[in-house]
Amino acid sequence: MDIVVKVDNLTKKYGDLIAVNGISFSIEKGEIFGLLGPNGAGKTTTVEMIEGLRKPDNGTIKVCGIDTQKNPENIKELIGTQLQSTTIYDQIRVKEVIDLFGSYYKKSIPSSEILEEVSLIDKKNAFYRTLSGGQKQRVAMALALVNDPEVLFLDEPTTGLDPQARRNVWAIITDLRKRGKTIILTTHYMEEAEQLCQRVGIIDHGKIIALDTPTNLITNSGLESAIEFSCLPEGADKIKQKFKGAGNVSELGDNKFILNTKESSKTLKELTRFSDDNNINLENISVRKATLEDVFLLLTGRSLRE
Amino acid sequence: MRALMGQIALEIKLFLRRKDELFWNLAFPLFFMVLYGLIYGDTIWGEIKAIDYMFPGIIVMALMVNGIMVAATIFVEERGKGIYRRLSLTPLKRHTIIGAQIIHRYMVTLIQTILLLAIGIFGFKVNITGNYFYFWLLLTFGSLCFLSIGFALATLIRSTRSATPICLIVFFMMLFLGGIFFPLDVMPDFMSVIAKVLPSTHLNDAIRLVVIEGAGLGTVWLDLLIVGAWFLVSLVVSIKFFRWE
Repeated sequence: MDIVVKVDNLTKKYGDLIAVNGISFSIEKGEIFGLLGPNGAGKTTTVEMIEGLRKPDNGTIKVCGIDTQKNPENIKELIGTQLQSTTIYDQIRVKEVIDLFGSYYKKSIPSSEILEEVSLIDKKNAFYRTLSGGQKQRVAMALALVNDPEVLFLDEPTTGLDPQARRNVWAIITDLRKRGKTIILTTHYMEEAEQLCQRVGIIDHGKIIALDTPTNLITNSGLESAIEFSCLPEGADKIKQKFKGAGNVSELGDNKFILNTKESSKTLKELTRFSDDNNINLENISVRKATLEDVFLLLTGRSLRE
Repeated sequence: MRALMGQIALEIKLFLRRKDELFWNLAFPLFFMVLYGLIYGDTIWGEIKAIDYMFPGIIVMALMVNGIMVAATIFVEERGKGIYRRLSLTPLKRHTIIGAQIIHRYMVTLIQTILLLAIGIFGFKVNITGNYFYFWLLLTFGSLCFLSIGFALATLIRSTRSATPICLIVFFMMLFLGGIFFPLDVMPDFMSVIAKVLPSTHLNDAIRLVVIEGAGLGTVWLDLLIVGAWFLVSLVVSIKFFRWE
């Protein structure tokens, strides 16, 4: 397979803070690659260095074989970018701004095709300022697609959107995947990474702490199921002691806890018996399959949603 | 070249759709022209008709509106919204963006001036005895000076929210201390000292002497030198501290 993006030992410092600390990965053609991590983990800094918006302090970046630091102008024709927050002129219509951006590139896709791709045909004559958050986000995607890019960067494409708008954006990304686009996506929603990405790099404190397919990440972590429950902290301490060997108990806050385990039914029985014997009042018990969120919790001891 | 034409077309389109820009650039100076014409009419001040005295000041005011009020505030606003940041990811060159803005503002200046001249001459009998070519030269020189001051302000202003108040203060200071609404002799000494270094004062004097009184450019060399100094200093500040983000 062709390697479209190759990043080696990428590092960025802001004063004493190391925002990105020696990150390396490569992305194959046609792949949707996700960078998953909490806010401030270094996702945006990483993609903005690849796009050429920020200068790395160390490391090399190659996009389609071109060194982006040596040829910053050459890669602009090859990439499409949706920034975390894109704002354009308030007084411009949707179709006008897509045509305008198209005119900046040597080759571009007709705006009518792009409007269809991002389902904005009925809004093509609307002024940008009158659009909803989800529609503005789709305009930002349209502008990223206008030059039919080799690599598409989507930086938190669904942050701040309502569930309906989020599903619309997911549908567009799924469609792009079917058409074989190479996409780098950052997100702090684990379900987004699970649904859309072929491979996910989990990033925390500027480092990639795990990188694999979502399924492998979950399987290899040894977490198959998660038992969620609420109880008072004293009870939870006793449960932590008791289940040290069988699984990992993590705290979600608000007296909510997760017990990750491989054998859910056996552990659940033991848990209820133990709490009965010790007068621990368990509430809101639920059992579910482990997710990337649990993997993150296991690796960092913190929740993604914090 | 095609990219530059495209950006100019965009600037014109946005200009026609921005109500505040249309107000400041067109309605505001024309309103003053008509107001002064109606108030002073054919009043004579010393040896000169009041409206003839006022006309150069209104031209300078229109140039300052364009450079200080409009160019600076819009640039800060678009920068604050991250529009230039987004554009920097496209192959569009930054000098094309700035070039289109300068050409567009200069075109607006020409339109403003033609409208002011038409209303002045046909409505209130403003007496242009000077050379129109010299007038055009002074206008172009003044336009570059105030656009340059506008971009210097835009580079020095950090937040979008402070842009309009700061630009308003600079604009009104240059307007009131520049001898545009009342002659410098009625000001207290310390104010006339400030007035004597402002570009508005000197451009106003130069246009009055050359356009209204028919003097040659040689007569106003000192005024042009001071306006030129402001142009160069602002240009250096703009280029040295320019910020796209």
